[in-house]
Amino acid sequence: MSRTIAESVTPPGPPAGSRLGRIAWHWRNNSKRELWFAWYTTVVFYNIFFIVFFPVTHAQPPPHPYWSDAQVAYWFNHDHDGLIIGFAIIFAVAAMTAPQNALIAYSMRRMSVSRAFGYSYLVMYSLSALPGMLLLCVVLSVGALRPGRDPAQLHWLYDFGFLSFTGTMGIFLLGSLVWMLAILLDKNRVLPKWFGYLNLCNALTEVVVAPAWIFHRGVFSWNGLISWWINMVVFGIYTGAFITLLRNMILREDFGDGPLPDIKKNPEATASALAGTAQ
Amino acid sequence: MTGAAQAGPRPGVAGQPPGKGTGEPATAIPGQPDMWVLVLFEALVFTAYFAVYLFHRSAHSELFLRSQATLNPWLGTLDTLLLLASSLFMLRCVQAARAGAFRPALTSACITAFLGAGFLASKITEWVLLVHGGHGFTSNEFFAYYFFLTGIHFLHLLIGFVVIGVIIYQLRGPARRSRELVETCATYWHTVDLLWVLIFSLLYVVR
Repeated sequence: MSRTIAESVTPPGPPAGSRLGRIAWHWRNNSKRELWFAWYTTVVFYNIFFIVFFPVTHAQPPPHPYWSDAQVAYWFNHDHDGLIIGFAIIFAVAAMTAPQNALIAYSMRRMSVSRAFGYSYLVMYSLSALPGMLLLCVVLSVGALRPGRDPAQLHWLYDFGFLSFTGTMGIFLLGSLVWMLAILLDKNRVLPKWFGYLNLCNALTEVVVAPAWIFHRGVFSWNGLISWWINMVVFGIYTGAFITLLRNMILREDFGDGPLPDIKKNPEATASALAGTAQ
Repeated sequence: MTGAAQAGPRPGVAGQPPGKGTGEPATAIPGQPDMWVLVLFEALVFTAYFAVYLFHRSAHSELFLRSQATLNPWLGTLDTLLLLASSLFMLRCVQAARAGAFRPALTSACITAFLGAGFLASKITEWVLLVHGGHGFTSNEFFAYYFFLTGIHFLHLLIGFVVIGVIIYQLRGPARRSRELVETCATYWHTVDLLWVLIFSLLYVVR
């Protein structure tokens, strides 16, 4: 293992004093700064995503799929400002998904498995932003920016946006399975095995949304109890778990190629791990 | 995170029977504790599905009873018997693996897979008969739940075949044999069986 490399190039720790000074120190000296950058970007992105998609644009939970042309046109008109401002923010920060995908790929790169896992995940999730987020944003923005358009055309955009967002889960299914397989085969204990199994649960929810293509109302429609609400609970738990576990991975990272060490449960060790210095 | 949660599989000693004298410690929970997270999580998710089903069933009891009557209870019973028998052979597989009798364990694992395949064949037959009888996924609410619950269970069972493949791979190589992994895989298979018993009760039996 190359643990000594980190020890030799990093000063003992950040200086006491202002928060700005400490941030500047970490920016210059923390050997894990790229990993922390990716992790904080992930946290910030999910917060922005939640705020934009839920309270700002009201795109989530999705509105009813059985609405008439007039109701859909009213929805575009009613949420006009939120849709435009919210999705403008998403277009500006969409690239924040890249560091997140890179961090997840890094977790696989750190495992004792083939590099193919990390790279295939990276390729798949580079594509996933399109059906998983951007198509909906583009289509609903088009609808909101042209309020005078024929309601039937607005309805078409509405269906296209929500069906593409809810129904195209193949990439996420395969991505979850790739991560699961990497975790279960790994011998470096980068992520716990239970999270590997949780990936399987998450992958199965991607199948459960498939009936949303068929049903206009009820529990299997795109805003239904089974297709959306239960899946969203699973996704929320899964997302919370992987953000926490990636943070633990960074704390435990020793830049070696063997099993990741455990973090001792004392404040000094944690501070040292945060600062990217060895004990 | 606990050390137990992070611990990887503890392989048995190569070429020796697992259990006594292998250096593989006996644990209070069979298999990897991590697998029980999946069991618990899937149990919670399916409980949510069942709760939604029962809520809608109580709201449309007439329709559900009428639709239930079109199901073939004998095929449902056959499915259940096949899976219960497969669970029995999975149990025999684990017991044999624990005792170091790897050939009988391998035979039991293959019989488990055979019975599971029988279940899949029976389920596909039932689906085909229903669709030919005019009862599809979108026919009514009951059949939407029926095809959803049996379909998602079918998917779990397909994953179960991968799991049995892992057991067979483990048992065939003396250097790979691990009691813990066999128990972990068996836990998954039993979970899928248990889910079917609940689905069978809700769709075929409950009136």
